[in-house]
Amino acid sequence: MVELPPLTPQIVLGVTAIVLFGVDIVAPNTRKNGLLAGISAAGTSLAAATAVWFLAAGTGDFRFVQFDGALVVDALSLFFAFIVGSVATLVVVASYDYVREEDHLAEFYSLVILAATGMTLMASANSLVTVFVALELASLPSYALVAFLKTNRGSVEAGLKYFLIGALSSAVMAYGISLIYATTGTLLLDDIAAAVTGTELGGVLGLGIVMLAGGFAFKTASVPFHFWAPEAYEGAPAPISAFLSSASKAAGFAVAFRVFTTAFPLDAVAATAVDWSLLFVVLAVVTMTLGNFAAATQDTVKRMLAYSSIGHAGYVLMGLAALQSGATDANSFVLGASMTHLLVYGFMNTGAFLFVALAEYWDVGRTFEDYNGLATRAPVACVAMTVFMFSLAGLPVGGGFLSKYLLFAGTVQAGFAWLAAVAAINSALSLYYYSRVVKAIWIEDPSDDLTLRGTPTGLYTAVIAAGVATVVLLVAFDPVAQTAIHAAEVLFAL
Amino acid sequence: MAVAVEYYLLLSAAVFCTGVFGILTRENALMFLISVELMLNSANINLVAFSHFYGNATGQVFSLFVIALAAAEVAVGLGIILVLYRNFDDVDVTNATTMRW
Repeated sequence: MVELPPLTPQIVLGVTAIVLFGVDIVAPNTRKNGLLAGISAAGTSLAAATAVWFLAAGTGDFRFVQFDGALVVDALSLFFAFIVGSVATLVVVASYDYVREEDHLAEFYSLVILAATGMTLMASANSLVTVFVALELASLPSYALVAFLKTNRGSVEAGLKYFLIGALSSAVMAYGISLIYATTGTLLLDDIAAAVTGTELGGVLGLGIVMLAGGFAFKTASVPFHFWAPEAYEGAPAPISAFLSSASKAAGFAVAFRVFTTAFPLDAVAATAVDWSLLFVVLAVVTMTLGNFAAATQDTVKRMLAYSSIGHAGYVLMGLAALQSGATDANSFVLGASMTHLLVYGFMNTGAFLFVALAEYWDVGRTFEDYNGLATRAPVACVAMTVFMFSLAGLPVGGGFLSKYLLFAGTVQAGFAWLAAVAAINSALSLYYYSRVVKAIWIEDPSDDLTLRGTPTGLYTAVIAAGVATVVLLVAFDPVAQTAIHAAEVLFAL
Repeated sequence: MAVAVEYYLLLSAAVFCTGVFGILTRENALMFLISVELMLNSANINLVAFSHFYGNATGQVFSLFVIALAAAEVAVGLGIILVLYRNFDDVDVTNATTMRW
């Protein structure tokens, strides 16, 4: 009996990207959108399925240390490999229709898969070297993907802004890593944890930790590195916006969870260098409030979703904010709740952006008014969109209700009731702007010339699959939450 | 005579701040890229100096990774700046503001 390597999901994704390039080398001049999308979808869904299989088989109960500790496979990395794999599957299936008319399709799909490889590696990274390399592997293809529509001014502008802020934040992060190396003399997370206890260079170390947090804030679109998010999500091709706001954000949180809990144990770092839990409390409150208030003032649906994505980053940050030294059970609970929310969010947010992709495919326009009466023309997709909107707002039509509930409960249990209250107020505000979309598509009358050309199979499939997954997560929530909390327990049980 | 390791920390901080200053004040996208290079290389100064200080190769090897990644980043960045020039006839980062309508 042959045993699969623990890094199988990452290997599958990497091989898929190379196969896509290979296909393009063999037949560079033929249109082969279907073949390329098929290979990509097969690779991503295989990676997601492998991650589920490994989780079910109990691979994640141990830490499989790879390459002398540079990478590690445990329940957390498998959990996030599943999120990235399933979001990437939805995105490539939707892209089949969205980029049909474009050139350079092989490059498009390969870049998506390479970015997905980087994101799954981020979840496994156990040394600051692999953290940085994996983060760049996820970022560099993303820059190119955002600017993929080369003749579209919005797409190019979005790509430029994403690249400039990305380059800045990765430079800040590299400098932070160099400061951490300067104080500890190692880059392996486990060794850093041993070296930070009683360090004399607390100030330099603290600065390094804060700069590292800045790099993660960029990846997760949190304050203070969130400026790129509204522009990049609005200008990018909509499936790429879905990919970045769901998978990329989840991967950023995965690596932040691992680095901060493993390398900088709160009881050792809080006294000497910096109390990063307090830092994340501030970031969480500012991020969620800014995201939700800005979302409420938007006129275009895609930009509203972009700001709502920032707001959700704020909710998930509570998982790091509510961590305390010594409270192992409460810590696992709230961190697991954060991970669960990221999984549910992965489906509902991807679905919402893919509905926008559908609207762009039909050329109906970008503002709320342009969506008026869409339900009379495309009822099935609009039902799915309604599920996404209400689930994002936290109403009990989708998994978003339970994951938010779990997250707030975990925060309260960790002793941060006021933080949960702020989040609940924000969540109530979010219902306002989410329901504007629902009102537009169901209640308002359509303009007379509203005709939709065709029913794109791929986009429809992806939107409906995301909708079904969101609803299924409402009824089958328990096993997911158990898995996530267990993953957090494995992370803390070092 | 060896230079004390603290001075490398000061040097790298100075280079880093130069880079940040460049990013905040320049409007040309290429100058922006050069500033980011400065910031990444200030990290390299730290890594190499403290690699020597601690007597292990980790920092030096990582600085090679950083140099390679900086090159990759510039490659992608120049591509984006090229399409920026084709669409906006300029490489001024403050010109690309179509999305604020």
